[in-house]
Amino acid sequence: MAGLGLAINARTLINRSNAQLWVLASLVVLIWFAFTLVDPNFANSVFVTYPLLRDAATFTVVGLAQMTALSIGHMNLAVGRMAAVAAMVAGISFQFFGASLLVGALLGIAAAALLGVLTGVIIVVSNVNSFIVTLAMDFLLVGFVALVYTRLTTAAAFTVKPDGMKYLGRASLADICAGPVCGPRFMPMLLIPALVIVGYMIWIYRRSRFGRELIAIGNSMRASAAAAIPTRRRVIQAHALSAALAGAAGIMVVISNGAATAAIGSEFMIPSFLGPLLGGTSLLGGAVSVIGTIFGTLLTFVLRSGLTTHGVGLEALNISLGVLLLLVLSVQSFSRIRGQMRMAKARMVRVRASAAGSRR
Amino acid sequence: MTHRTRRITRLLGAIAAGTLLFAGCSANSASSGSASPEPASAEESAEGTSGDDTSAADSSAGSAGDVMPLSEIKVALVNGGPHPYYASWPDAAAQAKKDFGLADVTFDDTSEWDQTKQNALLDSLAARGYNAFAVFGVSPADINSTFEHLRDEGFAVGSVTSCPAGDKDSAYFCLSTDVEQAAYEATKALIDTLGGEGSIVHVTGLLVDSNTQRRIEGVEKAVAESNGKIKLVQHISDIDNDLQTAEKAVTDLLVSRGSEVDGIVGTSTVSAEGAIAAVKKANLPIKIMAIDDTEPILDGIRDGSVAGTMVQNPWGQAYVGAYVVAKLQSGQCTINEDGIYVDSGSFLVGKDNVDTFDAKRIEKSKSLIDDFNNKYLTCKG
Repeated sequence: MAGLGLAINARTLINRSNAQLWVLASLVVLIWFAFTLVDPNFANSVFVTYPLLRDAATFTVVGLAQMTALSIGHMNLAVGRMAAVAAMVAGISFQFFGASLLVGALLGIAAAALLGVLTGVIIVVSNVNSFIVTLAMDFLLVGFVALVYTRLTTAAAFTVKPDGMKYLGRASLADICAGPVCGPRFMPMLLIPALVIVGYMIWIYRRSRFGRELIAIGNSMRASAAAAIPTRRRVIQAHALSAALAGAAGIMVVISNGAATAAIGSEFMIPSFLGPLLGGTSLLGGAVSVIGTIFGTLLTFVLRSGLTTHGVGLEALNISLGVLLLLVLSVQSFSRIRGQMRMAKARMVRVRASAAGSRR
Repeated sequence: MTHRTRRITRLLGAIAAGTLLFAGCSANSASSGSASPEPASAEESAEGTSGDDTSAADSSAGSAGDVMPLSEIKVALVNGGPHPYYASWPDAAAQAKKDFGLADVTFDDTSEWDQTKQNALLDSLAARGYNAFAVFGVSPADINSTFEHLRDEGFAVGSVTSCPAGDKDSAYFCLSTDVEQAAYEATKALIDTLGGEGSIVHVTGLLVDSNTQRRIEGVEKAVAESNGKIKLVQHISDIDNDLQTAEKAVTDLLVSRGSEVDGIVGTSTVSAEGAIAAVKKANLPIKIMAIDDTEPILDGIRDGSVAGTMVQNPWGQAYVGAYVVAKLQSGQCTINEDGIYVDSGSFLVGKDNVDTFDAKRIEKSKSLIDDFNNKYLTCKG
């Protein structure tokens, strides 16, 4: 009986998520074409499409960082500061130790992942809500990052660029050629690491046992523990993964902006929720959508870029994003209530049938 | 993975592949060996090329090439976000358009102090046909990458109000106040007002901003020159976001150590305004030396609650900046020394000149135009 309930619930979730994905993908395409029709400048590959895709690539990774925490029903409010720490560690390794881009980036991501482990351990040991723990971590890191920058730099930034950083930040797929044909110029090179991360996350949540266990924990921590899932270890690992992804996004900002500064990540928190939530990830855990996160992020950037190209201020964008998010959350809530009602109805039918059977 | 999910994934993949085909791949010859996007023709970019890849051209601004009339130049004055400092920029933009016969001069900001958003704004302005840029970079540490990007695309770009952090300036020029020198002079003026001895507090903006670091150095230099007669009680930073935060921070300090403080030097507008409000409410005999010329500061000078203010030249930065980038983009002039720093001027304003200092700023702005024409630019004809 419980298995049947879970199956119905899972099917409802998948159907709802697919429908939402379709709506989102259509919205992105429609808004893109609408902006282009109104003003052909929006199709400019150099000044609109390239920066739009570069920023969307970075913020998709930010969204995936938050999505990982959301998958177990937690939040990561320190997503921006973890990115700042990764950027800072990479910057220090470039500036003082002459590290290569790859080594610096890996060190930065590892530092962020360690912070994630620490966050997870605090949550598991103290049993305090992730909202509180990551909020406290955010405050702690704001001060720590500012302290390091003011002590170690005179310009509040690490500006040494290792070989390849400038190239990676400004190159496009036009630099990758197969014979006479090269990639499109409007696609930034930074799409490649973002797509690798997206591929990895799809594999985790669709193919790996680890991903399935994270979703199970998000659905019910107690049921997962009863099913012999090592819930405490998985919570720590989920926070480590979330932090590592935030760190990767921080490194991507360093690459595209050309320096590591304390301000990196300060604008991450709200967009980190927007992408996943618009894409169908549940705020309560247990349902994620990697592809949805891409389209959710793309939608916000298409809106932003379109409005900016039309000379409309960011205030209008923030209002439109707020309205959009409220609509999506309302639809999610409505669908959840409808799903619960369907399940209750099905349960009632089964109970009646079973009662009728026993009477016979 | 369900059958339906697989179908959706395949369809999305097909959309992505279709987009690639629709957009078209570039030919190898167009990009071989290039480490960065091909420089675009400024003229093509300015007209909005509607999705076509712009062709390579070597008509970068400031170099010898075809000369355009200024009536074909569209200048964008871009700051980092909303701030009272930029109140005069729309007027400067309109005046520059009229005086120099430019096609357009617009003033824009991102509404949010974020470098990534400012970069997106600059790109969108380029897509809308603006081809010369006078920019106050949000992040002095990484604004050089933005300047390099704009120059690679064939646009003239000047750094105004603030120079990039470090020794390198990738813009053609930097026209700004020397923030360290202004902070130094303001502190010296405060020390003079105090009679050469006492204890002072420094209130300022974001600690992790390189300009704040330079202001701190200016204040400390002036204090060090007093040979121990002036004690620097504290730097209070990160209070430039809003007046309430600034006022509360200074009030907290005055509650605990108000009797020790003889003077306050404010090196950012909002922090100085916060100090004025807090001192007025505490009713303490503390001398204040402020920065900029907002109404609360000028009113404070008039009623005697503020000893003076170090006024910068925002109008001149926008007006002269628009002129120079337009001249460079048109090809009429080239810059003599790439990345040159030019001081836009700062003036100490007290009770005696509070109602007359504006004339001095306009005079300075005109002399800056002359300086550029005669010293920093080489113009054809």
